[in-house]
Amino acid sequence: MIALAGPNLPHELLAAAGKHGGAIALGLDQPTPRAQQWLESKFAPHAFALVESWAAGAYDHLDAVLFSRADDTSQRLYYYLCELQRRGLLAGPRPLIFDVGKIPRTSSRDLTVAAVRRLAGELGVGDAALEAAIVAGNRARAGQPGGSPSGPVCLLHGTPPPDRRLHQVIEAAGFAASGLTMEELWLSPGPAVAEGTGDPAAALGTQLHARQQGARSFADPAAFIRQSVETAGASAVVLWRIEEDEAQTWQFPAEQRALAELGLPTLVLTRTDWQARDGAPAAIAEFLAGVAR
Amino acid sequence: MTTAANTAPPASVNQRSRKMLACTAEATAYQKAFGQELRRRVVEDREPYAIVQADTPHELFHAMDIPIVTNQWWSAYISAKQLSTRYFDKLVEAGYPANSCKYCSLGLACSVANESETAPWGGLPTPTVMVARLTCDCIQQVFGQWANLLGSEFFPMEAPAWTDKDPQWFAHSRDEWRRVYQPDRIAHMVAEMQDLIALLENRTGRKFDEGKFHHLMEQINVQEGYIWEAAQAIGKARPCPVSIAEQMPNTMIPQWHRGSDWAVAHAKKFRDEVLERIATGQGTSGNEKLRLMWIGAGVWHDPGFYQALEESLGAVFVWSMYMPFAGPAYIRELQGSPMEALASRVASMNETLHLPPWMNGWMVAEAQRCGIDACVLLLPPDNRLSQSGTKLTALALEDAGVPVLMIDADMVDAKIWDHDRMVGMVADFLREKGLAQ
Repeated sequence: MIALAGPNLPHELLAAAGKHGGAIALGLDQPTPRAQQWLESKFAPHAFALVESWAAGAYDHLDAVLFSRADDTSQRLYYYLCELQRRGLLAGPRPLIFDVGKIPRTSSRDLTVAAVRRLAGELGVGDAALEAAIVAGNRARAGQPGGSPSGPVCLLHGTPPPDRRLHQVIEAAGFAASGLTMEELWLSPGPAVAEGTGDPAAALGTQLHARQQGARSFADPAAFIRQSVETAGASAVVLWRIEEDEAQTWQFPAEQRALAELGLPTLVLTRTDWQARDGAPAAIAEFLAGVAR
Repeated sequence: MTTAANTAPPASVNQRSRKMLACTAEATAYQKAFGQELRRRVVEDREPYAIVQADTPHELFHAMDIPIVTNQWWSAYISAKQLSTRYFDKLVEAGYPANSCKYCSLGLACSVANESETAPWGGLPTPTVMVARLTCDCIQQVFGQWANLLGSEFFPMEAPAWTDKDPQWFAHSRDEWRRVYQPDRIAHMVAEMQDLIALLENRTGRKFDEGKFHHLMEQINVQEGYIWEAAQAIGKARPCPVSIAEQMPNTMIPQWHRGSDWAVAHAKKFRDEVLERIATGQGTSGNEKLRLMWIGAGVWHDPGFYQALEESLGAVFVWSMYMPFAGPAYIRELQGSPMEALASRVASMNETLHLPPWMNGWMVAEAQRCGIDACVLLLPPDNRLSQSGTKLTALALEDAGVPVLMIDADMVDAKIWDHDRMVGMVADFLREKGLAQ
């Protein structure tokens, strides 16, 4: 099986190969002494848990782990893990990288399509199997439960949290929580992939190249947060970014301006702890207590 | 070992470096005159120009005679005028995060501050295009927002995955570059460069001259060949004839102008001066006992740091990446394909300096080539890209018998740099390792 360790990865391709191993299990609460020897401080926090688990043999049952170039931590981990294996400091599964391009330009789309074809070749997946997986994936998307929650909604925007601990705080305050966790982001299939094109690798590559979410997205941040508010039907927003988020945190001024224009109650929490050990839950609870439902 | 820098205001004054080579003064004078000329072309004459990252294909702009302002050079220029703290504070006031990457964002900070009375050149006018390779998550945000602020267009370039990993890349980069840098990566970079040329031709009306470009690439090989030759000689020479404080400008200033007649002539002059000093036994210090390696960008605001321990401890910084990098990063047998050769250069520059196995493979080989006794490694706290690869490199160096001191400091932000404290840290480290009394 192949586990996923990043966003914007080709789920349909792994499914077609019968090797989709889901998101890699991280074990976030463990101490990470070995990982800290090898990783610098600006890696996203989950990287330390991943490398520590890798060193402990937690992934030895996997054939491979697929990293993504759509996220700096993910792509950098690929190189680090390859090197640690080369030097005999680690064993475990084979690190792979999916070379997704996000620049809105034909050459970047072509680069992504080539990455799909390359991985399909490695996994022995032909066009017919990939097309069938695309059709099945689209059916699964269509079958997702939809509809709006009955109560008020709070959008949790910014850094994807490790799990639903912040969502639970929002729900305890009487709001439905909208916003993906990191694992949900990694497993998110995105919009439907074009069917019946005669070139399923190109169809999948085109969808991956165009996806709007993630650190390397070229989506306009103000438009994206407005769209997220609208889609969720949110009446309040928590804009939450962690200390190590050095990429999308640049979008703060644009996001804040967009939210001010919308006139929504907003709580901004910056340079926070990813595991929310820093008072963020209390701040969110206090904020939402003051928001009219 | 990791040591934190003090975040209190600096207690000591940063130091200028001591220069011994005639060509160093010539290089800095040329650069100063170039800065004035660039300002005239860009600010007064309002020629089309570009703001570009250091690891982008400057050669295309040179071949089209389009002036460029390199972000890293501009950052260093602002920093040298002691304006970094002021502009970073303005960035925070504007709602940007205080933990942002400092090296890439000082130019943006200057534009956000929008202070024509303090900004170098009164601030930059609108460039025709801004170009950056996406080697981290941060840079597309910085350049995208900077381009919006200046009313310009951002031309991002991919940094494709590199799966054919040769730790000995530097031994084969000159003649086996197609294999070393991966054919598909080279092809992609060529496609992007062709798009960029088309954009530049369209926006500026200037034409890309293939003959001129081919000649430029040949001249760059000549230029970097001189630098490479001098670097090889410095590695073997005892004592070290030239401090890194002089290696840097004599490599980097010609490199900003790579392939020009002046750059080629200057590189030759520098090589000749280095060889002459070696032949006559002249060292940068009369007291060389320890040979140190500096890993990281230059500390532009305190160049005297590098020479501070030469007399007291005989500790001489003989190695920084800029000069020895010239050979493997720049020299390419053109093999009738200058655009592909350039693509191989651009598609690897950042990766070989910041990612395993290229970074550590090269640094260990260089430490061995130059007889390094100890290494000082910069670990900027808020810059993932500059941090990248440093711990694995430190481990590899220590495995090879080279002790490493890692300093948490930023090469641009003077706020967290204290000359005396930093010099003291290095001295303590050398004593702790039993390398100095």
